[in-house]
Amino acid sequence: MKLLANRTFYQSVLIINAILVLTPIFFLINSSLRETSEFSRSPFGLARNPYWGNYTSVWSGGEFPSYLLNSLIITGGSLFLIAILSVGAGFVLARYQFRGSKLVLAFVLTGMLIPAKLAILPLFIQLKWMGLLDSRIGLILVYTSAALPAAIFIMSGFFRSLPLDLDSAARIDGASELQLLRRVLIPLVKPGMAIVAIYSAIPIWNDFFLPLVFLQSPEKKTIMQGLTVFFGQYASQWGVLFAGLTLAALPLVILYLILSEQFIKGLTAGAVKG
Amino acid sequence: MKITYTWLRALVAALFAATTVVLPGTTSASAATELTFWSWRTEDKAFYESQIKLFEAKNPGITVKFTPYLNTEYNAIVSTALTAGKGPDIVQLRPYGAMANLMDAGSFLPLTTTSVPALKKLSPGILAAAQGYKDKKQFGLPYAVSALGVMYNPAILSASGVNALPQTMSQMVAAFEKVKKAGYLPLGNAGGNGPALEQLHATIGPSYYGGTQFFNDVVAGKKTFTDKGYVASLKAVADLAKYMPANYQGIDYNTARGLFANEKAAFYIGGNYEMGYFRSLNPSINIGWFPAPKATAGSKRYVGTWGDGSYAINSKTADQAAALKFLNFLGTKEFGQALVDEIAFIPTAPYVKINDQAVKEINRWVKTLGTPFLNVVGFRYENPTSSSILQPGFQKLIVGGTTPEQLAKDVQTAVASWYGPQKGKS
Amino acid sequence: MSKSGLKRDQHRAALFLLVPGILTIVLFTTVPALTTLSYSLFAWVGFQRGDFIGLDNFLRLFEYPFRDQFFMVLRHNTLVFIAVMIFQTGLGLLVAYALFKVVRGRRAYRTIVFLPVIFSLVIVGYMWQTLLDPFYGPINQILLKVGLTDWALPWLGDTRTALPTLVFINLWRWVGFPAIVFLAGLNAINQEFIEAARIDGASEGQIFRKILFPLLAPSLTIITVLTFIGAFEWFDLPFVLGGSNGSPAGATDTLALMFYRLSFGSVDSGANNVGVGSALGVVIFTIVGLGAALGSNLLRRREVEM
Repeated sequence: MKLLANRTFYQSVLIINAILVLTPIFFLINSSLRETSEFSRSPFGLARNPYWGNYTSVWSGGEFPSYLLNSLIITGGSLFLIAILSVGAGFVLARYQFRGSKLVLAFVLTGMLIPAKLAILPLFIQLKWMGLLDSRIGLILVYTSAALPAAIFIMSGFFRSLPLDLDSAARIDGASELQLLRRVLIPLVKPGMAIVAIYSAIPIWNDFFLPLVFLQSPEKKTIMQGLTVFFGQYASQWGVLFAGLTLAALPLVILYLILSEQFIKGLTAGAVKG
Repeated sequence: MKITYTWLRALVAALFAATTVVLPGTTSASAATELTFWSWRTEDKAFYESQIKLFEAKNPGITVKFTPYLNTEYNAIVSTALTAGKGPDIVQLRPYGAMANLMDAGSFLPLTTTSVPALKKLSPGILAAAQGYKDKKQFGLPYAVSALGVMYNPAILSASGVNALPQTMSQMVAAFEKVKKAGYLPLGNAGGNGPALEQLHATIGPSYYGGTQFFNDVVAGKKTFTDKGYVASLKAVADLAKYMPANYQGIDYNTARGLFANEKAAFYIGGNYEMGYFRSLNPSINIGWFPAPKATAGSKRYVGTWGDGSYAINSKTADQAAALKFLNFLGTKEFGQALVDEIAFIPTAPYVKINDQAVKEINRWVKTLGTPFLNVVGFRYENPTSSSILQPGFQKLIVGGTTPEQLAKDVQTAVASWYGPQKGKS
Repeated sequence: MSKSGLKRDQHRAALFLLVPGILTIVLFTTVPALTTLSYSLFAWVGFQRGDFIGLDNFLRLFEYPFRDQFFMVLRHNTLVFIAVMIFQTGLGLLVAYALFKVVRGRRAYRTIVFLPVIFSLVIVGYMWQTLLDPFYGPINQILLKVGLTDWALPWLGDTRTALPTLVFINLWRWVGFPAIVFLAGLNAINQEFIEAARIDGASEGQIFRKILFPLLAPSLTIITVLTFIGAFEWFDLPFVLGGSNGSPAGATDTLALMFYRLSFGSVDSGANNVGVGSALGVVIFTIVGLGAALGSNLLRRREVEM
């Protein structure tokens, strides 16, 4: 078909996509800068004099900064654990042949099939028994466990791609296994770690379900969980609602715009071969 | 450099994480106790916070933090938290069956007339709203009686030439038509919220199905939900759909209430607890109230009513004494007075003076025409509750997705599956 | 390196480095998953476990009232999977091909295409809820202004349009993902084949059908499997926009929402049913596991590797 060969057609596809993606986002930001009372008069007007009052309402309401901090703690804490555990496990599974190493790898792979959501009840009761309910540490452990299978898989792939001579050379020089790992190999798998970081961090940052179930105290709530509470409280104050949404989305969007390459590579890591 | 950034961030966050382990966070500073207080009434936040200030002034050393949640998810949130042993100190409870299972599970402190003297003044019917299903101890202090009726905007009615308050349904429909002709919306009610539709039915329904007599008959198993009168009550809701705002199926609870509050709609059918919200959106609004019209000239008139909501204390609270102090504060005459004056609730305590004209009117009618809100009072104790069928059922009914007969049958099947006196009946 | 076993130093390192990770997975993923299975075999009162009742919970799941709910949500999830496969993956492929062909502004377009994927479903849900508000939302406002009054529907409130609207919102948010995966697949194809075909006089359409599409088969496999898993575990968007009951009138109810209600209680009543909920969880996991395994096996056989 002529149409499908036409380069202009594909240009239009991308332009339409850009419009469809950017318009709602523009509307979001634009509306956050208008006062709520304006909406009943003109739902779709431009914010001529940017009204920052919505943002101050959101920020000084007291909860947003604490939500942000909690999200940072939980995501950061999980990343930290994931990095350590997946590098270690990935290294061993890639480098050491021992009886059962294939089994362990298979075990790790099937772990990717199990979503935390479906095991939520036993997790709830188990964390309660462990005294880890309503605790950020408990949530960090659950997130880490959920992210580890994919992380280990990715890291072992990266380790496997490094030549074995490096190992032998280091061992001849008298290095212990840990030194081999730390001094020689880790610097070489840093790209893999970046991918693991992004692949794991984004779903954790964006998640609201696990905090909904596992965090009860209001001062421990994360940003996405807080949004659901926020929307209940400010139900018809449209300007404030939009400001809240924008603030919640801002951290990741800014990071994404700076690191878009890494984000794209990281988030599609499980799906793209090589 | 991207790698350094990731490491740095993770490291900083790990330090924070470490501090959360070392420092055991939350409450219990040296001398002050902080009580947490949860509710589903996001509309009442300002009210409770001002009341809390009064309490804190009289009780130095105790602070109270009020946190409201989205009302549709409140039940799940509270039950999860309580099971986790982590709920709030003071809990606002739904009445009757909705939270009875939590009461039975021992989540709340049993209250006595010694620990909470305010309980002495309340009638048994009201007290029942805060007792367990299997465990009949008193677990909550009921704070308000709610009543269902028709709220109206007198200014719109006179502008539309409606000079007399409707006594029968056909008179009300005539009023709707006049209002429509004058360019206003007849009803603010819409279909986007199942519970709101259920309340609409509970307001106009009793006159169709026979009020308290029918309630007693169903509770005893003498009549079923497929009774002609009940089916007619369901049909009455469907018939009102044409007076709802355009695209009513998608209009949510807050938008619907906003229509009445912003004086675009003439009538709003529902509970008196909406009045506080209307007034907060539009402080200058004048609201009138009359009991739901009779189904026909020969039917009886009823005002659906029930003990609505109570305050309870978490059995695992760290400071029972402080919690009881606050609960007793909530039982004082002054608090009851504020409930009436500021958010137009009908207080359970009989000694509160009602100055608000509309609330006075409602209270008067409740005493003479009161009938229990069927679903809330009788059938929320086990699953599937009648409400769980009716709430989505009404949403389907008003768009023609089901018939009143079928809906009645579904309710009957649901209730008969667990409610003894109805078992085996259809 | 010795293949028969580990030297002592390596042995210690293996334990120290491997075990913590595996232990974490076992403790917080594997054990809970197996426990769900065991929970389904007991009776429950609230969160207190009662007696062993074998498969009774599964039988109960297929009785009134759960059975009707179950088949309704199963139908919803299946419809969603089909719709998403056709529209989301189809559009993803189109966008990927467009990115492949267009050179000017490629990086900018790529950034934009993928942008919605990083948003949280909570943000996407609430954003679209306000956009689609029947009264104040700009979409209906524009439709009214242009005179298309019949189209200014309560998108999220009408039982007929609620689910398709959710699918559309899901699409908005996710299309970038298959687009990027397909793009990577296209970029991985040896350009020489394409050049050679062009020299031989093949049209763009033929090149696409005979060379590009078959070589995209691995990407298609993985997207299909991930979409299947996502469609049958769909929770976040319906929960944010329809609540745990799948408002309006259950039109947006899904398997995962039903699971949530059974586990934690619903809108009108806090009473839950852990036994039946766990049984449902086992059923969902079986569907997803079987589907993913079968699907990837079937599709993998049709892949062409060059």
